[in-house]
Amino acid sequence: MKVISIEALNRIKEKGLKKLFPDKLRIAVGFATCGIAAGGDKIFAEFEKIIEERGMQVYFTQVGCIGYCKEEPLVNVTLHGKPLVIFNQVNKEDVPKIIDGLLKDEILGEKAFCKIEKWDHVTGGEIFYGEGFSHITNYTEIPYFKHQKKIVLRNAGLINPEDIEEYVAVGGYFSLFKAVRELTPEEVINEVKQSGLRGRGGAGFPTGLKWELTKKEKSEVKYVICNADEGDPGAYMNRNEMESDPHMIIEGMTIGGYSIGATKGYIYVRAEYPLAIKRLKKAISDAKKYGFLGKNIFGTEFSFDISLVKGAGAFVCGEETALIASIEGRLGMPSPRPPFPSQEGLWGKPTNINNVETWSNIPVIIKKGSSWFSKIGAEKNSGTKVFSLVGKVKNIGLVEVSLGTPLRKIVYDIGGGGTKGKSIKAVQTGGPSGGCIPTRLFDTPVDYEHLKEIGSIMGSGGIVVMDEDTCMVNIAKYFTEFTQHESCGKCVPCREGLKEASQILSAITEGKGEEDNIKRLKEIGETIKVTSLCGLGQTAPNPVLTTIRYFENEYEDHIIRKECKAKVCKNLINFYIIPEKCVGCMACSEKCPVGAINGEVKLVHTIDQEKCIKCGTCEAVCPLEAIIRVSKQSKNISKTYSG
Amino acid sequence: MGELVKIKINNNIYEAEKGEPVLKVAKREGIDIPSLCYHETLKPQGACRLCLVEVIEGKPRGITTSCTLLSVNGLEVMTDTPEVQKHRKIILEFYLAQAPGSQEIKRLAEKYGVTEVKPSKEIDPNDPLGGKCILCGLCVRVCDEIMGVNAISYIGRGNYTKINTPYFEKSEVCIGCKACADVCPTSAIQIEDINDKRVMKSWSKTEARLKRCERCGKYFAPNLLIKHTCKIYDELDKEVKNLCPDCRRKVLSKKVFISKKRIIIK
Amino acid sequence: MQTEEIREIISKYEDHSGRILGILEEIQDIEGYLKKDTLITISKELDVPLSQLYSLSTFYSFFNLRSLGRHVITVCMGTACHVKGASYILERLQELLDVQEGEVTEDGKFLLTTEDHSFSLNIARCFGCCSMAPVINIDGTIYGHISAKDLPEILKKYDWRE
Repeated sequence: MKVISIEALNRIKEKGLKKLFPDKLRIAVGFATCGIAAGGDKIFAEFEKIIEERGMQVYFTQVGCIGYCKEEPLVNVTLHGKPLVIFNQVNKEDVPKIIDGLLKDEILGEKAFCKIEKWDHVTGGEIFYGEGFSHITNYTEIPYFKHQKKIVLRNAGLINPEDIEEYVAVGGYFSLFKAVRELTPEEVINEVKQSGLRGRGGAGFPTGLKWELTKKEKSEVKYVICNADEGDPGAYMNRNEMESDPHMIIEGMTIGGYSIGATKGYIYVRAEYPLAIKRLKKAISDAKKYGFLGKNIFGTEFSFDISLVKGAGAFVCGEETALIASIEGRLGMPSPRPPFPSQEGLWGKPTNINNVETWSNIPVIIKKGSSWFSKIGAEKNSGTKVFSLVGKVKNIGLVEVSLGTPLRKIVYDIGGGGTKGKSIKAVQTGGPSGGCIPTRLFDTPVDYEHLKEIGSIMGSGGIVVMDEDTCMVNIAKYFTEFTQHESCGKCVPCREGLKEASQILSAITEGKGEEDNIKRLKEIGETIKVTSLCGLGQTAPNPVLTTIRYFENEYEDHIIRKECKAKVCKNLINFYIIPEKCVGCMACSEKCPVGAINGEVKLVHTIDQEKCIKCGTCEAVCPLEAIIRVSKQSKNISKTYSG
Repeated sequence: MGELVKIKINNNIYEAEKGEPVLKVAKREGIDIPSLCYHETLKPQGACRLCLVEVIEGKPRGITTSCTLLSVNGLEVMTDTPEVQKHRKIILEFYLAQAPGSQEIKRLAEKYGVTEVKPSKEIDPNDPLGGKCILCGLCVRVCDEIMGVNAISYIGRGNYTKINTPYFEKSEVCIGCKACADVCPTSAIQIEDINDKRVMKSWSKTEARLKRCERCGKYFAPNLLIKHTCKIYDELDKEVKNLCPDCRRKVLSKKVFISKKRIIIK
Repeated sequence: MQTEEIREIISKYEDHSGRILGILEEIQDIEGYLKKDTLITISKELDVPLSQLYSLSTFYSFFNLRSLGRHVITVCMGTACHVKGASYILERLQELLDVQEGEVTEDGKFLLTTEDHSFSLNIARCFGCCSMAPVINIDGTIYGHISAKDLPEILKKYDWRE
């Protein structure tokens, strides 16, 4: 079973292509975490049932996630010789209709979202599905997709992530073959260096240089690690990369191991990603069976193996020295650097750690060459980056664009702008280590340097959109509390400093802010940034510092005027039933958990502010949107509400 | 002896071993850099963040901890710039909040210009470390890396971190060596010899039975500590094991005195 | 858990990398939480100090040293969920389940269990289901696009009574 020659590899490729282009109909259901959570598993079961009932000849399978998460459940259909068609927001009732159409070689229904006539799998070259279905929009015309450039997500949503042959069909493991059979380790490192690839975990350190430093160290034993401890809340790019295309990570790591002189690799995955863990384990097992991992890969002297290590719920373990400590069975507490992991890493041996997405780019660089790669993106920022675009934006999902793309394009052209007619106020990039960026700076190109200049960071790629209903002080408090809870506790600026910052921010949001709060927050923010031992502490003040920098007026509103204009901070608002709109349906009074709403049937209801706990249930249940939030400071309520 | 290099501290040139922590050089040369978590016998961890200096020439440029800053030729640092002072003060303010019971912290804060404006936090009466622990981790590391006993460890995370025995129960492995109390920079760890027991009051009242001197009857050292030491130094004389330091001195000096007089005693 | 069972689990982990975390996780999967006796046995079998195991159990959020309720509700407090009102959801659940006030227990872990042990309430820092924010997870099933008013109906599925 072990593949040694290029001929054997090509034979696997042919097998895989027959699955992507079977002689019969191919139906694939999106089966990553988002898809399943949206009901994809039920859709899968429904298709399975009907296919069996009708005795259809179908190649029925699962695929990963193409990144348009808000449209899940997604279903791909490939009719022989025709474009691939994607159905969106498929529910149980749609399934028989879709199948009816397919039996007639037709695409029926409103749920046919778009078609793909050809697709560039990058490592596998272009794949042609076919032309036709003029009534269906081309993938290249969909605003969400047309501005994207898929390199990391070249296969996601199109291949079965649990089938190694489909991965080979689209060029998988050909780069590994080239690396170990045709290139020297030095040549591989040189390619990665020339490509300009930078670490996609957030710091943006030049990957080729990191590899070179690890290679230089003289040691019998070296390690390669994949950091899959994606902890930024709101960021799930790595999760999709692992669930939709696990083999690209394995291939990348193996090429890395070859070039550095390592024989063992570890993937450290956070425990909150059970499906990613399952898919990676299967991929590792399959890769071993086919000889892509194990002894004498492709008949060379090079042997390499990969194991999985599960995290246990500590965001700080995303920091490389803490991650290493965690693998060694110690507390995830960062250590001072130097020595760097490339000198003394896992078990004291030279270790190269890279993020999931960094590894995912490696097979592409080897296949297409550093020159091709370096032309994509911006100066000193080669390549693309996958972002998770979430929050108060229309089109939520994973977006891959060339580095240097302006924020505006991502949020408006791809994201479709704000929701419910609200105006966007800011985006937060880089998770709890990043900063809030106001709309007036949305022309900023998204790359490592520009984001740093304006006080934020690229981070792992989370982009959270915030609108007029978001309170920026509340956001600062949220992120500070997050990093405070995830602090390992080793050094005092992070441990005590973030605690003090949280306390101040809480007081401000509760209307107990004091005049010197902003000054103190800036002061301790600076010290925490400059004196913390590791990246967690060094970046934790960014949300506070950027919100003060760009939204100081909101802080002043809270501190001086005790007002929360976004109507989020509970202590500063009241819920108010608009008399003119209330019809006395009693929906709110019935649901109020503390009986704070007075009113009889068909009579206008009122809220007793003394009893109200601001849970928001009444606002949520009112069928007429008659309940609004008003500032406690508003003297004349009906003046405040003027429609 | 490694390669020697020249570094500059506050514009004066000093000789150091290549790779020697700048803090160590400073201490040797009598230059004032405050520190809490540094101990000669342990690898620097950069945990307390108090030994800050500003790097003028060399890497990493700017503010860094001097215990983790390794000496290389041409390295130049300043120990008391406005930047250093600013950050050091705030760090000491954090320590005041963390350890309101510590006199040492109060002393350092005053020395480095922290004018206490905030009301001092209350000391939790149930805190076995008397509100003095600054979580420098020296006790844990000494118990682990030097003594190899691992009786205490970190518990929890972040600002909920505490140090104590597992489950806050009496330790089954503590040998009563007091190394933890000896290295603690704020004297937070309370250990007391009461009759025939050494009580680690701070460590959940763990007890270690004391050995009685065969000669004078005084309780002098924990049994387990003696056992532990003898495992390492197994050629130790029986007399050393069973006698308290005073009696040991008397007996051994008599031996030396007599042997000097050339009378051999069996 | 019997020593034999523990030995069997340990024997699966030859590689020292990730061994301790893996063993603790596997045992917690079976027993629901890490019992003191179990940790003592592991300490002996692996020749790893008990203080180290206890330290790891209290450091990492995933480990529970106390037993959980019959049903475990985890509220995602990730950013995308937060901007869509996750803290309201959490508060509402605390009220509905009548679990004690206060965000965290003394070891810093957020875990509230009802008196009758029917429910445990937990938070997570992000499941990665941001497109369905706000999200809660009950016994492994994910509920997306949650609002406070949906909660009583959902809880009733798990035998909750008002």
